[in-house]
Amino acid sequence: MSRPVFSYWRLRGLNMHPKFSRSLALVCFAISLTAHAQSSLQSGGDFSNNPQPNALPSDVILVKGAWSSASDSVTPVPEGGRVANNVFSNQYFGLTYALSPNWKEKYSGPPPSDSGYYVLAQIRPAETPKGTTRGSILIAAQDLFFTLTPAGNALELINYNKESLDAEYKVEQPPTLVRVANHSFVRFDYGSPVAELHWHVLATQIRCHMVQFVLTSRDTKLVESLIQEMSKMTLPAEAGPISGRGGGEVPVCIKDYARDENVLERVDPVFGERRFNPTPVRIIIGKEGKVKHIHFLSAFPDQVKAITDALFQWRFRPYLRDGKPVEVETGIMFGRVPRPAVFPASQAVNE
Amino acid sequence: MKTTKLASVVAILAALVFTGMASAQTDPGVRSNTGVNAGQPLASVTASPNDLAFFQTGLAQFNEHQTVTGDNPGLGPRFNMDSCGACHSQPAPGGTSPASTIFPNVGPNPQSQVIANGIVNGGANTIPYFVFANGPVREARFPFFFDQFGNPNPNAPNGGVEDLFTVSGRTDAGSCSLQQPSFNIARVTNNIIFRIPTPVFGTGLMANIDDATLLANHAAQANNRLGVSGAFNHNGNDGTISRFGWKAQNKSLMIFAGEAYNVEMGISNELFTQDRPLPGEDQLGSGLPPSCLNLAGIGYPEDITHSDGTTASTVTSDVGLFNTFMQFLDQPTPSTTSPGGATSITNGRRLFSAIGCALCHTPSLTTQASKLTLGLGNATANLFSDIEIHHMGAGLADNVSQGGAGGDQFRTAPLWGLGQRIFFLHDGRTANLLGAIEAHQSNGSEATQVEENFDLLSPSQQQDLLNFLRSL
Repeated sequence: MSRPVFSYWRLRGLNMHPKFSRSLALVCFAISLTAHAQSSLQSGGDFSNNPQPNALPSDVILVKGAWSSASDSVTPVPEGGRVANNVFSNQYFGLTYALSPNWKEKYSGPPPSDSGYYVLAQIRPAETPKGTTRGSILIAAQDLFFTLTPAGNALELINYNKESLDAEYKVEQPPTLVRVANHSFVRFDYGSPVAELHWHVLATQIRCHMVQFVLTSRDTKLVESLIQEMSKMTLPAEAGPISGRGGGEVPVCIKDYARDENVLERVDPVFGERRFNPTPVRIIIGKEGKVKHIHFLSAFPDQVKAITDALFQWRFRPYLRDGKPVEVETGIMFGRVPRPAVFPASQAVNE
Repeated sequence: MKTTKLASVVAILAALVFTGMASAQTDPGVRSNTGVNAGQPLASVTASPNDLAFFQTGLAQFNEHQTVTGDNPGLGPRFNMDSCGACHSQPAPGGTSPASTIFPNVGPNPQSQVIANGIVNGGANTIPYFVFANGPVREARFPFFFDQFGNPNPNAPNGGVEDLFTVSGRTDAGSCSLQQPSFNIARVTNNIIFRIPTPVFGTGLMANIDDATLLANHAAQANNRLGVSGAFNHNGNDGTISRFGWKAQNKSLMIFAGEAYNVEMGISNELFTQDRPLPGEDQLGSGLPPSCLNLAGIGYPEDITHSDGTTASTVTSDVGLFNTFMQFLDQPTPSTTSPGGATSITNGRRLFSAIGCALCHTPSLTTQASKLTLGLGNATANLFSDIEIHHMGAGLADNVSQGGAGGDQFRTAPLWGLGQRIFFLHDGRTANLLGAIEAHQSNGSEATQVEENFDLLSPSQQQDLLNFLRSL
């Protein structure tokens, strides 16, 4: 509770005995000090007495667990794609995809997983009354270096999808090689009779990632028209269900290149804290065999620092293609290795 | 004649309108026509007199109201409630937030009654703004500490429980005088989040699912084409999968019970052996004032194993009894017919899987052999959870990290017993299932695509799915 503070100087104007006025002023000053102390308790920790405090932003993830990061902000990474001017573009995959009119990305996806799964974009119609959504398109990628499914390429992965399909679903078109935008894709259609929904998967492989478009709708005609519009998509020359291993303007991607025989100098990361999360890392090795770029798919900040400090000291045997050294992109799993899935028997693909 | 014609038109219009309303999907609400379908011990516990006595003693202790001194000492000096069962009571002890007007009408939010019931001195405490008689029981946390200027500091993560009440002014609290945390300032600065009680039905089964089973389930869900890819939280000591709490941060029910007894009720025990200050009181070095320590006058820890006990349940500490109670609690019993009928529920269950909900809300997992009681061993736990932590996006993020779970990651909430729950999501922000489903999509959420699939369903399909959920 605050009390009025009487100014000593104002009291001088009153017709009071000087000694009395001095005493009164001192008493008032003491009272004001006490009131001030009572009303301004210390702020900090669990308490605040700030009448106009600063607010934190809403709906923002400020505290992150294991997350994706990279050693520089210039080298493209898979999760770096974006939708702008109604075009989805991803510099890492060399992919551009013009969205259908009135389709947009409403929500961004989660960060990459510790098994190398990416949600690149989630596209849906822009203006849709609740309950009458027409469909959706999920653009996703799976890093083939870290997949829990021991598949060597996108074609094998789609075959695995088909073989492990839950009994609730019905295969509408088994994995089939098709041409989209002058590139080879594998197409796989399935549906749920009870939900009356259809899923149409178009997958290819780029830089040792399966890149897939998953179109979902009740309306198969809508899906076919969306697939037709995908003919305008641009993709790198390497894209294909069993090709897609980099090269040319991007590094050659080689699984497990960081084997002993290829690592000429190695420094182990020094971790300050023991953690138990799988930490998948992709690196780009320069022509001279030194690490030039590190991409963490999922790691805590202290893991990022320890691994970065170590990896930049590694030296690899240069990889030769046609007798000339080329850049290599490979993957290393630090931390706990995830348990793989059981791989069902694969079947031939239809053409 | 004109009046008759008008009445006919009105009737036709009304029929059209009300038919449309009847076919629009709605949350059927708490299932009330099947009795209370949770809170019972496992059949193997009931069949064993010793185990049943242990369970019943645990239940009694769970419902007991603690005081600062006396026969049930140790309450405070800071606490959220004076009894486990006061908060965990819907629809039965071991459950979640109750309500007085919703089946089975357990009662109002007990936190709203603490002054009226004399648990808290009204001269020294106020009821926080977020506590309502018809609202969920809540604990509060500040994601960030306030700095010396009273602003939340995004470089100083907090996330610990800010207890609602103090024992100040109680006749058994001596001269202990404590201030409640700055809930109002936390509100205006977006620096407060809430957690509601998580039900503990079936948690013994959850505890007995081997890590290998969880890892195999995780691998089997890979490449799901729906944007889902979770992770596990791990116990920092041995690296095994932790599973209890909203972020799966606790390894075992014993730790879960010990921490809750200490943090929520202020009772030190053999797992958490000191009276707990607020997070800022602790980290800024001030701690609890001496006048607020050892208020019970019995030393620490206040809850111990009793060497003078004569039976298993009288020897065991309160925390041990809570552990046994939770271990022995059976999973809730779903209904096959209510709400909506058997066909609708069966259809809804198939839709639940078809659109991808079951990727995270795994319908069932099998437990390993149990030494505690037969009913926990090689049993089918119909928990509807993969016990993984998933990114739930900015809309649900609480900016509290616990173990390996970041501010936007939450354990898949088990859905068993959902049919008789009132409040949903970690903070009880909605009592409507449709709202809870919609909250699954936001920027950065793994569940956005699955929620899109839900939106693609017809109204009657969505209703079947809602009926199925309320049958659990």
